[in-house]
Amino acid sequence: MTSETAKKSSGLFLSHTGSYPRIGDSPELQTLRRSIAALDRGTGTLADLHAAEDDMTRRAISDQARAGVEWLTDGLIRWYDPVSHLAGKLEGVEIRGLLRFFDTNTYFRQPVVTARPTRRKPLLVEEYKFAHAALSHLPTPHANGTTRIKAVLTGPYTLAKCSLSENDATAKLETRAAAYAEALAAEIVDLAAAGVELIQVDEPAIVKYPSDWGIFEQAITPILRARDNAVSKPKLALYVYFRDCVPLYEKLTSLPFDIIGLDFTYNPALVDVVASKGSPRALGLGLLDGRNTRLEDPAVVAKQIERMLPKIQGGQAHLGPSSGLEYLPRDRAQGKLELLGRVRSAFLGMEA
Amino acid sequence: MSRAKLESLDLKLPLYPTTSVGSFPKPDYLTKARAEFNRGKLSKDQLSELERKATQFWIAKQEELGIDVLVDGEMYRGDMVAYFAEKMPGFTQGGLVRSYGNRYYHKPIITSAVEWPGPLTVDWWKYAQSLTKKPVKGMLTGAYTIMDWSFNEFYPDRRATAMALAATIRKEVEALIAAGCRIVQIDEPALSVRSEELPIALEAMKKTTEGLKAYFITHACYGAFEEIYPGMLDLAVDNFDLEMSNSELDMLGLFKQSPFTKDISFGVVDVHSHVIEDPGAVRKRLENAARVIAKDNIWVDPDCGLKTRTVEEAIDKLRVCVAAATALRG
Repeated sequence: MTSETAKKSSGLFLSHTGSYPRIGDSPELQTLRRSIAALDRGTGTLADLHAAEDDMTRRAISDQARAGVEWLTDGLIRWYDPVSHLAGKLEGVEIRGLLRFFDTNTYFRQPVVTARPTRRKPLLVEEYKFAHAALSHLPTPHANGTTRIKAVLTGPYTLAKCSLSENDATAKLETRAAAYAEALAAEIVDLAAAGVELIQVDEPAIVKYPSDWGIFEQAITPILRARDNAVSKPKLALYVYFRDCVPLYEKLTSLPFDIIGLDFTYNPALVDVVASKGSPRALGLGLLDGRNTRLEDPAVVAKQIERMLPKIQGGQAHLGPSSGLEYLPRDRAQGKLELLGRVRSAFLGMEA
Repeated sequence: MSRAKLESLDLKLPLYPTTSVGSFPKPDYLTKARAEFNRGKLSKDQLSELERKATQFWIAKQEELGIDVLVDGEMYRGDMVAYFAEKMPGFTQGGLVRSYGNRYYHKPIITSAVEWPGPLTVDWWKYAQSLTKKPVKGMLTGAYTIMDWSFNEFYPDRRATAMALAATIRKEVEALIAAGCRIVQIDEPALSVRSEELPIALEAMKKTTEGLKAYFITHACYGAFEEIYPGMLDLAVDNFDLEMSNSELDMLGLFKQSPFTKDISFGVVDVHSHVIEDPGAVRKRLENAARVIAKDNIWVDPDCGLKTRTVEEAIDKLRVCVAAATALRG
């Protein structure tokens, strides 16, 4: 069996979960930081900034491809944060003060909805096109057809939960979420038209606020409908992280997404839950801690996968970090990506 | 209650005492000097001399502005966790990670048991205090925050990490008190990060301050305090220093539901904005605070450390704080 056949037979794909460090410690990896600072000082230009973003996006893609990741992201290099990058592009939304992003020690700028959030133009399509082109320009064997860019967007419920409202019409969480959902549904249609095959919708807020489940379900309905109506039928993945996923496991896996991505780092019992209850759809296995530098033992993770994979519908899973990797220093983020491949090798060794 | 404690420590402060959260912007000459030091072009002694000069500047400036409780301005520090991690055995310096926007820091990695190597901040506190008759706060970072803002490759879990750090920070508190420090600020900006871990943060602070004779302040900011209030009032400190301006005073709503039972250092100016607040608007914020919290318990300061502002902006923001407090004293 060739290694390529082995990969396919195992149904275990390597998939990055989202963000990647924007800078590194060496001078050539500091261009983005320097160009933002220069722009702030009035000594740099927007063109310099965009060139630095392009450069770091290419490097993020190259690192993932070199590590053997099959579903890559653009590293979200251009995102100020996971909330304002999308919400701030919508009409009717102002971006204001800083708030902590869940339990990370990073911060996001809080959107304030002043009128119904409205999308006047695509939010991420150009970023996807750039990443797709960057991947295709990598030297072979990385661009051999097995590596693809997935689009990542923060879901409507999380955007709404992270926003304030100064507008009566969107004062209620459900109305804010519905407005964001409408905007994101249109984005999904445009991303599909641009050729995106897999769109990852991040909804970390729902595992933190499970009592909002009804509002959350309503909010995701338009984006699921957008997928169903898209001619190219992209796959839609729902990813949750930064909280114990066990309490919501059955509800999450009952949702009609193509993939449900879970964070395994908050409760090791999640492996037991998956192994005993199974999953009616493919899972994203966030088994490598995207928030801590400690490298997991590949043999231990491989055993966890071995217990779960046979219980997952179609035997399909996407192995990845528990969250985006921007929370790690660049060298450690690279280490986590490389570890993905070692885990799969250990798993395939077991499978054989 | 805390006024009595302040008096027992021979600290006589006016109504609405003014203070700062901790850091001030470094003058250009110091920023350049730190860069040269990092490139090996400046000796440690030369850098220290400039750090002392900048500390002198900020102590004099605070006195000139009429601030009541001073800080050294942290001219010798970079990041609030990395400063301690760089000096404490058990830590390894990690690579750069982002805090927000274009701000990055070296996030430390715990790779072995953490230890107290001897005084970490005491000499700087002594130096700053020698420059003024007004009280200067001792400035530390709390165990829970150091734990949360470090990677951990050694301890089995987060609680074990926080407790080991609490034992270490307590030794620094004891050293500050032994040197004569009467007000110690132990910052816990990570306090509200994981509401389910509030018991760990409470236990760690108790281990840090219990039975020690000083007035304790903690600074916390940019968090979901609604998730830990009023439980956070059990933290073993006398004064909570909170960013109220950035959150548009919305915490006052919580305080109306359940009384705030400690002193508060009430953040009245936004440290992330270049705009200098209107003194009238700042005074109004304090008047709103005084409707919910007894004025005897209210201190006045900026939302957070001012190190992200220019020197001029920081001074102007402090001036607004002092003007508002002075006006309310009548």
